[in-house]
Amino acid sequence: MAGLRAWRAQLGAIFFLRWRLFANSLRSVRGRLNLVSRSLVALLVAGACVGGAIAAGVAGWGLIRESKLEWLALPFWLIFLFWQLFPIMATAFTYNVDTSALLRFPLSYAEYFLVRLVLGALDIATALGLSWSLGLLIGLCAGDFHLAGWALLVFACFISFNLLFARMVFVWLEHWLSSRRSKEVMGVALLLMMIGFQVAGPVLERYSKEPASSRFHAAAKFLPIESALPPGLAAASVGDAEKGRSLAGLVRAAMVLAYAAAALWLAHLRLHDQYRGENPAGAQKARTDTAGAAVRRGWKLPVFSAAISAVFEKELRYFSRSGPMLFTLIMPVIMVFILWGGRRALMGQQQGFVFPVGAAYCLLVMTNILYNSFGGDGGGIQFYLFSPIPFRQITAAKNLAHLFVLGLNVSILWMGVSVIFHPPRLRVVALTFAWLLFAAPVNFALGNLLSVYSPKRIEYSTFGRQRASETTILVSLGVQLALIAVGALAIYIAHLHRNLWVAVLILGLLAIGSLGAYIVLLTRMDRLALERREVLTGELCHA
Amino acid sequence: MGYIEIPVDVPAIITESLTRRFGSLTAVQDVNLAVAAGQFYGFLGPNGAGKSTTIKMLTGLMVPSAGRMQILGLDLATHLLDVKRQIGVVPEGMALFGRLTGAESLNFAGRMYGLDRETAAQRAAELLDFMGLSSQPKTLIADYSHGMQKKLAMAAAVIHGPKVLFLDEPFEGVDAIASGTLKAMLQRMIARGVTIFLTSHVLEIVERLCTHVGIIHNGRLVAQGSLDDLRSGVAAGSGNRVEKLSLEEFFLQTVGGARSTAQELSWLG
Repeated sequence: MAGLRAWRAQLGAIFFLRWRLFANSLRSVRGRLNLVSRSLVALLVAGACVGGAIAAGVAGWGLIRESKLEWLALPFWLIFLFWQLFPIMATAFTYNVDTSALLRFPLSYAEYFLVRLVLGALDIATALGLSWSLGLLIGLCAGDFHLAGWALLVFACFISFNLLFARMVFVWLEHWLSSRRSKEVMGVALLLMMIGFQVAGPVLERYSKEPASSRFHAAAKFLPIESALPPGLAAASVGDAEKGRSLAGLVRAAMVLAYAAAALWLAHLRLHDQYRGENPAGAQKARTDTAGAAVRRGWKLPVFSAAISAVFEKELRYFSRSGPMLFTLIMPVIMVFILWGGRRALMGQQQGFVFPVGAAYCLLVMTNILYNSFGGDGGGIQFYLFSPIPFRQITAAKNLAHLFVLGLNVSILWMGVSVIFHPPRLRVVALTFAWLLFAAPVNFALGNLLSVYSPKRIEYSTFGRQRASETTILVSLGVQLALIAVGALAIYIAHLHRNLWVAVLILGLLAIGSLGAYIVLLTRMDRLALERREVLTGELCHA
Repeated sequence: MGYIEIPVDVPAIITESLTRRFGSLTAVQDVNLAVAAGQFYGFLGPNGAGKSTTIKMLTGLMVPSAGRMQILGLDLATHLLDVKRQIGVVPEGMALFGRLTGAESLNFAGRMYGLDRETAAQRAAELLDFMGLSSQPKTLIADYSHGMQKKLAMAAAVIHGPKVLFLDEPFEGVDAIASGTLKAMLQRMIARGVTIFLTSHVLEIVERLCTHVGIIHNGRLVAQGSLDDLRSGVAAGSGNRVEKLSLEEFFLQTVGGARSTAQELSWLG
């Protein structure tokens, strides 16, 4: 009884801590702005929750009414994929409470596990996944009320699985990406993926020559795998119940539960090690290097000053040593593979826009770096502030590194699109570069501004706990939408003139303006940094 | 013999009515520091007295609410970059980039202070050797122990050969061996004419290393002078000579005595 009281007191203290952190954040103007941004994000998420739930409900109801439950796996898979992939693909836009700091208190393992599970699940993906699952459940029940009890059981298993699986993936990714060797493995994986493009072409060619029936048979080979995985099992279990095959349905529901138990066990393995005090980077720390003290010379970029070269080198070293950053930066490559999977659905004209859309995505995934570019420097910001280098040079060097990464990503995308579809036409490449020339300086300029005005310390080595300021997230999303809208408008005008080069011209002219604005803002970075130096050190230096 | 040449008539650090307010709280008020070139100056004070705020203002990390500051005769308000070229800083947070190795960090610092690539690499190697950090060239700073990070922060602050060195609690959390290394480096710099401005809670270290001391309490400079004068009881403005005190005794006398330990916390057992 005393143990239960202590447990309740501890949980109460943790939620009180969260509440006080939130309440205290409102003392500053920035905190209040963040609350407004957070409220807007909450409204958007609520809209997506309700809208998605209605769509899922209608789909469930329709499938029951039309007796097409064999398609029920589709919404289950969509929910599952979103629930699991969104937090990984959008680490910049998700916020998970860092609960590892709680380990210093006398929490039992069960309490620690529960706190990690509950607080870790307080994210957008879980809210959306849960509401869409509930929408689907209600739709199915409305279609056939006799299924209600069964569907409730299946959804309980499915939701439990998703909650546990998401946590399990995060704790393992966090562990895996914390060691340098894993990052090296990731680098090799990236290389293999690029080489894979070379193989993808001939393979694609081979399958495209097969008749449609053969392709269907090839796809059918994957069905047993699909139906043995939790989303397929959950859907099949509901189908079994509808057909009166209770035992088969029960077995499938139990299998979903078994998957959930496996995820729970795997998460336990990792969290238990953490609970016992394992340092995620411990293996690396324990190693003692024996190499000599020879120090290599730093990089020297042609044209640029020594200071810019030094910051550029430092930025690229940081990116290469950050698992989460690497993960974010290879997302465009992963997207190419997704495109490869869905290439058949794209018509000829749509295929032409794969490259510009992919390039826009490349820029989008970089916003978490661009709009909080000093976040990863932590205490190092003090060095920038007391070093004799004008802040505009430091900012320019960082932007140069960002531009390099963007260029690399777009090049990889171009290779992927060329192999999977066909090399983009010259006018499409020109359109893409004109848009990038317009959009990148806008992003760099606003990113520099927000990096100084609303900095937030982020830990490059920790996966899934990246917390950009809410204001920053909202502004960056708004900017991306506006930039994409301008690009779309330019294309529309070009379409009216039946000449894509018109869009290139419009975006090229806009690029001159945005580049000018970027340079003007860059020249003011010294003054801005001086004005904001206390905020920068205050926000970035505390642990 | 001097490592650097400082004109005799130019003090290293001068502040006039230096003041910093945070809303209604005045953290530093009318502080007038006078540190001559080549002095080893210990800046003391209880927790929250205004030491770190003062050092942040002197190094350009914080803007004063009022008053003037000059480093080597250069006004910080008008010659900030020139001043920055002449100083080295180990701030409270150490200002390290955790995802670099020690060698990369020193190389980076050297080049940011304008050293060419060869010199930066050479000095980085020498400093790593001197600090005993060269045996782990591939270890990231984030994986360094606290003492190793302190040593590296010190190395990064001196790689360009500064004329004035600002150190905020350089010995905090440092073991005896690392502390010995740091002291050896500081004494070598003092011998070569560098001015060192150091804050520390450890009075024994200040007593052993510093030639001059300033004491700040509740944001005000309450004592300043040579260590010998202060230990003899001649605090700034007092004029009364008393028995020779240890620095600790003088410090406690100046900022107020220790609270009674017997009065509360009976539950501690």
